[in-house]
Amino acid sequence: MNMSHGQDMNRRDFIKISSLFLAGSAAMSTQIGRTFSGTGNALAGEHAEKVVHSFCEHCFWRCGIAAHVRDGRIYKITGSEHHPLSNGKLCPRGTGGIGQIYDPDRLAHPLIRERKGGQSTYRKATWDEAITLTAEKLYQIKEKYGPQAIAMLHHGYGYTFFKEMFKSFGVNKFAKPSFDFCCGPRHQGYILTYGHSAGTPEGIDIQNSKYVIFFGTHYGENMHNTAVQEISEGIRRGLKIVVFDPRFSTLAGKAEKWLPIKAGTDIAMMQAMMNVLITENLYDKQFVEENTVGFDELWAEVREMTPEKAAEITDIPAEDIRDVARRFASFAPSAAVHPGRRTQWYADGTQRVRCIAILNALVGNYKMPGGVVKYEKYKLPKAPHHHYPEFEKEIWSQYPLFTDIKPSNTMASHEVMQQTMNDEIKAWFVYGVNVPETVTLGRKATLEAIDKVDFLVAVDTLPMEVTGYADVVLPECTYLERYDDLDGGRPYRTPFVALRQPAVEPMFDSKPGNEIARMLADKLDLHGVFEDSVEEYLDKRLKAAGSSLEEVKKTGVLLGEPTDLYRKPGEKLTFKTPSGKIELASSKMREAGFSAVPKYIKHPEAPEGYYRILTGRKPMLTFGRTANNRFLNELPTARENDIWVNPEVAKQHGLTHGEYVHLKNQAGVVSEFPIRVKVTERIRKDAVYMVHGYGHYFKKLNWAYKRGASHNQLISQTEIDKAIGAVGFQNNFVTFIKEA
Amino acid sequence: MAKQKNYGMVIDTRVCVACSACVYACKSENGVPEGYCRDWVVQETEGAYPKLRMENRSERCQHCENAPCVTYCPTGASHYAGDGTVQVNRYRCTGCKACLAACPYDARYVHPEGYVDKCSLCKHRLEQGLETACVSVCPTTSLNLVDFNEPEAKADEMMNGKEVYRQKEHAGTNPSLYWISASNKPGA
Amino acid sequence: MTETTTEIISTKLNPNVLPHLHIWEWHIPLYLFLGGMAGGLLVITSIMIVLKRRFGIGPRDEGDGCPCLAVRIGSILSPVLLGVGMLFLFLDLAHPLYVWAFYTTIQPTSPMSAGSWILIAFFPLAVLQAMLVNKKFLRERNIGIVNKLIDWTEDHLTPVALVNAHIGVGIGIYTGILLSFFSARPLWSSSILGMLFLVSGISSAAALMLLLAPDDEKPTYSMIDANAIWIELVVVGLFVLGGITGPANSSGAMMHLIAGDYQMAGLSYMIWFWGIFVALGLLVPLLLEFLEAAGVHIKFPQVAPVLVLIGGLVLRFLIVFAGQTYHTFM
Ligand SMILES: Nc1nc2c(c(=O)[nH]1)N[C@H]1C(S)=C(S)[C@@H](COP(=O)(O)OP(=O)(O)OC[C@H]3O[C@@H](n4cnc5c(=O)[nH]c(N)nc54)[C@H](O)[C@@H]3O)O[C@H]1N2
Ligand SMILES: Nc1nc2c(c(=O)[nH]1)N[C@H]1C(S)=C(S)[C@@H](COP(=O)(O)OP(=O)(O)OC[C@H]3O[C@@H](n4cnc5c(=O)[nH]c(N)nc54)[C@H](O)[C@@H]3O)O[C@H]1N2
Ligand code: SF4
Ligand code: SF4
Ligand code: SF4
Ligand code: SF4
Ligand code: SF4
Ligand SMILES: [Mo]
Repeated sequence: MNMSHGQDMNRRDFIKISSLFLAGSAAMSTQIGRTFSGTGNALAGEHAEKVVHSFCEHCFWRCGIAAHVRDGRIYKITGSEHHPLSNGKLCPRGTGGIGQIYDPDRLAHPLIRERKGGQSTYRKATWDEAITLTAEKLYQIKEKYGPQAIAMLHHGYGYTFFKEMFKSFGVNKFAKPSFDFCCGPRHQGYILTYGHSAGTPEGIDIQNSKYVIFFGTHYGENMHNTAVQEISEGIRRGLKIVVFDPRFSTLAGKAEKWLPIKAGTDIAMMQAMMNVLITENLYDKQFVEENTVGFDELWAEVREMTPEKAAEITDIPAEDIRDVARRFASFAPSAAVHPGRRTQWYADGTQRVRCIAILNALVGNYKMPGGVVKYEKYKLPKAPHHHYPEFEKEIWSQYPLFTDIKPSNTMASHEVMQQTMNDEIKAWFVYGVNVPETVTLGRKATLEAIDKVDFLVAVDTLPMEVTGYADVVLPECTYLERYDDLDGGRPYRTPFVALRQPAVEPMFDSKPGNEIARMLADKLDLHGVFEDSVEEYLDKRLKAAGSSLEEVKKTGVLLGEPTDLYRKPGEKLTFKTPSGKIELASSKMREAGFSAVPKYIKHPEAPEGYYRILTGRKPMLTFGRTANNRFLNELPTARENDIWVNPEVAKQHGLTHGEYVHLKNQAGVVSEFPIRVKVTERIRKDAVYMVHGYGHYFKKLNWAYKRGASHNQLISQTEIDKAIGAVGFQNNFVTFIKEA
Repeated sequence: MAKQKNYGMVIDTRVCVACSACVYACKSENGVPEGYCRDWVVQETEGAYPKLRMENRSERCQHCENAPCVTYCPTGASHYAGDGTVQVNRYRCTGCKACLAACPYDARYVHPEGYVDKCSLCKHRLEQGLETACVSVCPTTSLNLVDFNEPEAKADEMMNGKEVYRQKEHAGTNPSLYWISASNKPGA
Repeated sequence: MTETTTEIISTKLNPNVLPHLHIWEWHIPLYLFLGGMAGGLLVITSIMIVLKRRFGIGPRDEGDGCPCLAVRIGSILSPVLLGVGMLFLFLDLAHPLYVWAFYTTIQPTSPMSAGSWILIAFFPLAVLQAMLVNKKFLRERNIGIVNKLIDWTEDHLTPVALVNAHIGVGIGIYTGILLSFFSARPLWSSSILGMLFLVSGISSAAALMLLLAPDDEKPTYSMIDANAIWIELVVVGLFVLGGITGPANSSGAMMHLIAGDYQMAGLSYMIWFWGIFVALGLLVPLLLEFLEAAGVHIKFPQVAPVLVLIGGLVLRFLIVFAGQTYHTFM
């Protein structure tokens, strides 16, 4: 049995024993009882109700919410009517905030690691002690090794204050794991091709589209509220959906065609579609001539990829490939290929996303109803500037095409691991990343890196695995108990600025990130980083935008004029690429020494008796963020993950539906916990599927501990996209070990 | 006098993604205790690889016009509320469970506090002119609250020209939930 | 042709109906058994009273115009058993304190409501009958008010018994109707169930009286019991046939009962139904009673009635459990 986490590491052992984690627990469990077992008469009493408009933190989509408070408690969360990303509606996780704020396992106060007789424990600390220790250690490390020995890993919207603080301190190593796995390739793939990002929400006019093709991305399970709203509106209006996915996803269930493509062959498939569009003259010649560069180079690359050839690679009949390409062209320009979200499956995510961008370009759907559109931002003036020390480098990443727009990360998260292993990085400041369960380079590699860290601070709301390795644990209050920076940077149909504001006071001894960051800044003698209070800061920014905090508090949003989405007849298009055109062949890729057009590269196959392990999401959960959320996890479909197995594979391995097995990967890693087998027609024979975010090994997570199996534990093999530094992890294969 | 209401739902399974937002919204709106639910989601997949069909449905009490739960309730606790809904008066409910046995849709549960509970069609919200919690939250607008007595008949408009069914009609319950089948073509 | 499958995933969180109906445990079958037997006792004792009084038929009495000892005991047991049964019914309520709600309304369509009102009619008349047939004993106690009551109604024992015979039938049938009205539960929704529970109640009552009767009265009750078992066998046959030949819902449910491998106390329904209920609870006692009537000496004459009683009890448990463990009407 592989117990790779911690047991054999004496330097930074995983602290499992401290009872201090749970100081709030007794009081909380009675509270939680009340939240989750009402009298069934929610609105019966004439209690005064306060409604607070804010935005959600259960994923990066950041929908507007309305928190309903009665007797000092949030009893429900509904979708904000004012916020354009919710339209009064929410995905299941949006409602689930009550399960996070009233989680009985929440971190209640700061903790400091202490070593006594070879054993580490945590002791409860005051904020002053914890902040003093953190400041001292960070200062020492900076003095000794320079600011580049400190890195911040982050995910979630509260990180901005820490980033400001660190920038003033001279630290410029920021990494968000989500860059490596999801937003990186789609962002860069689009930038390289169109000169702008694919956007969050994606710039696809789904609700007016007639035909949308999805590669893998599994809307309905991946629950981006607004996108799901648009897809359903599209279906009502007649949208036809095509899904390429080795698994019959919920979205595939809505498709006119589900094409169970062999995993890892999407580029071949898309090349074949380009081949059909070009050989059959179905592409928009005029658009291509006027607005793109590199057509000939592209044609040279895809001319060999006939549907017949692609059929052999992808396991999809040539006729189906032709049919989809033809229909795509026939519905264009009201047709689109969706960029997806977690785009880094293998090392070729950027080029795969470029294929998607190119397919869209070939049919000339840019700025057309039902095609690719470009949303606009609300014109919110930048936050007032203050002086930063000179940075040694703006971007620390070694990858030539690492993001080149305003970075929220200056390196890839796996580079933090690598530099730590090379002794270049000594301290980690981790904000909202559950590092051991968040790929980076797989659990084992990550824990090896953690072991090398001299000083690790974790800012979190829960005793997640990462906190068990920290020297200092700083309990942040949840998003329902704090202000954060304005959500003002995102383009959408209706440009908006959204406010996060507290619905109730922070519970226990937890504090908002903005306060924690201010306390650290004060201790580090960094002056002028923050306004006197977060309200003052927000008010200043909003006043600069012609409103005020007081005003925006009412609805939680500031709305701009709806974006003019569509091309006017004769309108000349410009793109912020080196050529000013859509780059079918990317000049930047070429300059950096890569193929300018996407190439299909064969990925390794599973060893005999092993199956490629695919992963995805459940609509009601967001991995680490909701793992211990009892309110959301309660449903029978949410409690644990299953391993999806085709009936023939099940037969071959003697597996029955519902039995528990351990999984073993190609490197011999055996899942720590067993996982339930789901025998289903809904998956190909050469792959298995499990939802990521289960199998937590920290016992302090009273709900999440030992439920299902961890996907990340089974990742031993990763491939890095040499252009942008994203990490692919789908070349991992598992087999089954039956319970004795 | 205001026209008598006759509430029900039209549920569009073409768009439902079985996300369960409706279940959570109901649970927090109605304080449904841990371990129980008033509505639930069913995902049904039929066929054999690679020819599969799927239908997703958010199910709940059907607010039957001929409701066996009311017929068999010995105390009158289960009753027709006069607005097309079927309600339980918990202050008359003995917890004899006859209604649970009587309901062909298994829509009811025994509340730990000793009465029987089920979807109330959020009566407290209807009375305030609000939609039900599940209808309000549903990101796909699969759930639609309708008043079958409404003159412009939003319900008809939604269902016209589509394959629509009701569940277990042969049970004689005359249910008030109408289902737009997932087998309808897009934009039907 | 490739096999097609149906995969159903549900989020339903309702332990009362998942994976199947779980609402009634031992209380209700016991109540149905005791209620059926109480009804049966009332029917038999009332008929015995009428036969004795009107036609002079029946075992020897004590010369007071009241029938034999078994009837006297049976008359007392009838309301007692029903009372005990109702205690179980009460215990089964999730909110017993609201039991008053049964009696502040009349719900004509609800068998449970009808049942609760029949019970109200049952008790005074059954108790009165028990007093009247035991008046000799009561007079010895010489309690003023009781004496007065007896004096006042003494002459009306026959009409009281006639009414009671009907109430008894009502109670017996009611215990079956209670279930058979639930058309959502395919096993129960059979119109024969009322009849089955009535006959089973009568045979159990006869068996009980046979156990309690002095030797000289035994042949009478043995004869009643044997006849009741015969009829019960026929009704069981009709019940099973009606189920099997019915639509998918009924036939599935009936197969679940008579051929199902679902376990009850470690044995499958099939074994319980055929082995315990039909063989041990009906055929064996019938054979024993037949042999006895034919003059064969039976070493333990109590065996037959005890088996009948066990059979009656098992029938109620089987029907209540198998009805719940089969899926809801589709
Ligand atoms: N409810 C919910 N929603 C979420 C999240 C959540 O945790 N919960 N997380 C959010 C985050 S951070 C992200 S990154 C996104 C991810 O959301 P998506 O972008 O939709 O996720 P992916 O992991 O890319 O896609 C998973 C699907 O791709 C299929 N797939 C796997 N390999 C291949 C392949 O080689 N080819 C093709 N064509 N298909 C393949 C899988 O079978 C699966 O159905 O979801 C976001 N939305
Ligand atoms: N094996 C495997 N690994 C993956 C993926 C996969 O599919 N499989 N998906 C990848 C993808 S696409 C992504 S985006 C990443 C995401 O992975 P992470 O970046 O780790 O993000 P989360 O799991 O969303 O959240 C991590 C932590 O945030 C904490 N948290 C929640 N709310 C707050 C808050 O308000 N304040 C603070 N300070 N902390 C908070 C949670 O308790 C949790 O510990 O995972 C990646 N890793
Ligand atoms: S999509 Fe869901 S989890 Fe993400 S922000 Fe919106 S409501 Fe929250
Ligand atoms: S919220 Fe809407 S889409 Fe989600 S399961 Fe319920 S009905 Fe379906
Ligand atoms: S669905 Fe069931 S609970 Fe609802 S009205 Fe009909 S019979 Fe009654
Ligand atoms: S449990 Fe309550 S509502 Fe149901 S039948 Fe009995 S009294 Fe009526
Ligand atoms: S109508 Fe109200 S009570 Fe009924 S399921 Fe929806 S939210 Fe729950
Ligand atoms: Mo992600």
